[in-house]
Amino acid sequence: MGARTRRGWRKVINGINFSAFIVVLFIGLPLYWLIISSFKTPPNLGASPPQYWPNPWSGANYAQAFVQYDFGQYFINSVIVTLCATALVLIFGTLAGYALGRLPMRGKFTLMVTLLIISLFPEIAVIAPLYTLLKDLGWLNSYQGLIVPYTAFNLPFAIWILRNYMLGIPKEMEETARVDGAGPLRTVWSIIIPMALPGLFTAGIFCFTACWTEFLMALTFNSADNYKTIPVGVATFGTALEVPFGTIFAASVVAVVPIGILVFIFRKNIISGLTSGAVKG
Amino acid sequence: MTAMSTPIERAPASRGLAGRPDVNRRRMARLGWGFSAPALIIVLAVTIFPIVYSVVLSLSNVTVSGNGISLGGATGSNYVQVVKNSTWQYALGFTIIYTIITVLVEVVLGTLIALVLQRLAAGRGWIMALLLIPWSMITVINAELWQYIYEGTYGVAGALFGLHDILGNSLQAIIGLMIADIWKTTPFVAIIVLAGLVMLPGDLYEAAEVDGSSGWSTFWRITVPLLRPTLAIAVLFRVLQAFGLFDLPFVMTNGGPGTATTSLAILGYKAIFQNLDFGTGAAVATTTALLVLIGCLISLRGFKIQVGKEGM
Repeated sequence: MGARTRRGWRKVINGINFSAFIVVLFIGLPLYWLIISSFKTPPNLGASPPQYWPNPWSGANYAQAFVQYDFGQYFINSVIVTLCATALVLIFGTLAGYALGRLPMRGKFTLMVTLLIISLFPEIAVIAPLYTLLKDLGWLNSYQGLIVPYTAFNLPFAIWILRNYMLGIPKEMEETARVDGAGPLRTVWSIIIPMALPGLFTAGIFCFTACWTEFLMALTFNSADNYKTIPVGVATFGTALEVPFGTIFAASVVAVVPIGILVFIFRKNIISGLTSGAVKG
Repeated sequence: MTAMSTPIERAPASRGLAGRPDVNRRRMARLGWGFSAPALIIVLAVTIFPIVYSVVLSLSNVTVSGNGISLGGATGSNYVQVVKNSTWQYALGFTIIYTIITVLVEVVLGTLIALVLQRLAAGRGWIMALLLIPWSMITVINAELWQYIYEGTYGVAGALFGLHDILGNSLQAIIGLMIADIWKTTPFVAIIVLAGLVMLPGDLYEAAEVDGSSGWSTFWRITVPLLRPTLAIAVLFRVLQAFGLFDLPFVMTNGGPGTATTSLAILGYKAIFQNLDFGTGAAVATTTALLVLIGCLISLRGFKIQVGKEGM
């Protein structure tokens, strides 16, 4: 390696490191602001010029989120709705993904394209009729009133991802199971699911994130305090005159934790899902 | 399920003897529909039915009374009313311009970030994890955070840049909204592009280097064309999301000041749930959905994406 190449190489690395540093600042600073603001005392939140470091540190916002506002309830509601919808999406999505990926059905292509188009539809297009439908069913302000729509809206993408994983499983595995006398459900359970596990994680984390962050339907269907999810709760903290930013940020930090942990654990699945799952489709 | 499983248990025998492959195939197809049925029924009930109903609503004289809504005769008047309405025209223009600018900035920035991360020697995993936080963040929280940053008297934007009325000024509010959006979704684009970059064949780059191709021309002649399918997916996802823009302006500006940040989705939502004008609301919603569909088809064609027929 000549001196010229080495110097050039070092120059690139420096530029790259600097750029990466800028990226970290760009992403990290607003997050830093969110976190430290949640620990400022309520009067200091309105300090001008703003405090760049909380002084003193305070847990008042957290206490307020859980005591004065019913954030604990919103959190539980979000967990229930998100977990149920994700479970349903994975169960129905696995069965449908297996069928569409490996069984000889006619009209499969049309079906997949229809599903793709549905998954692209903006929520606003269905919100009014869905509201009427749920109202007639008496499902406004209920868990199922969000679980069922969330399941439906996240199924198409999950089916696409799962189908792509199913396509990659060798046919012989199923043949062996069949020869051993396993029924189709049993084959799916003991052969297909273990092989498609990375796909299930990918579909699961996407569904979880989508349900955890969904706002429009939650706002429209579940406006009663007992059934509000986190996004609706956070958006409706305070009054028209005063926005309690401290409480909102404390709640936000708590809301970011579970999804942050999940995203961190499953980051490889997310990245592969964003590329192979979608691109190969 | 037992009824469904019996034919399959018998299947290997008939298949092994090469006796009745078509019968076996039909059984497998029936099994396939059985397996798909729960998913298809729920998707049909919750999406197709409302979409059709929405189209019907938009084409009817709808009256809202105490006992719900009733449909009058068929009419195109909702659409005429919507299309002639200057608020709708503004919302359409705003949504289109917002979509174009944010997606463009996000794709360029996201690609740059991906190129940086690809060349980064260490710490790539940690930065990726950091990038996933805005992506997974609740949009409402993002809106509240930036609202606090932009706040007139004690917002940090005021302290640092002397901007004290960002959300009260139309142009600044629009740009402020775009920045919040770009902050949240550029990482998503960066991750998609990075994953695409990693999959590119390395020998092409070696060949380009041997041929004495400069970094810039290698980027345009090898990286960009090969990345096109990846970029198409990123653009498609983002265009759809941006076009349905609701959460961010709803919380941050409530469509204001005035109607400066009123997107199509906010207009539709307000027509339906604040003015109880279901016909107009449905017309706004349907035109939005139609525009999204057209946009998708154009971008899919533009990027020459084949919706994978492989394995079908």
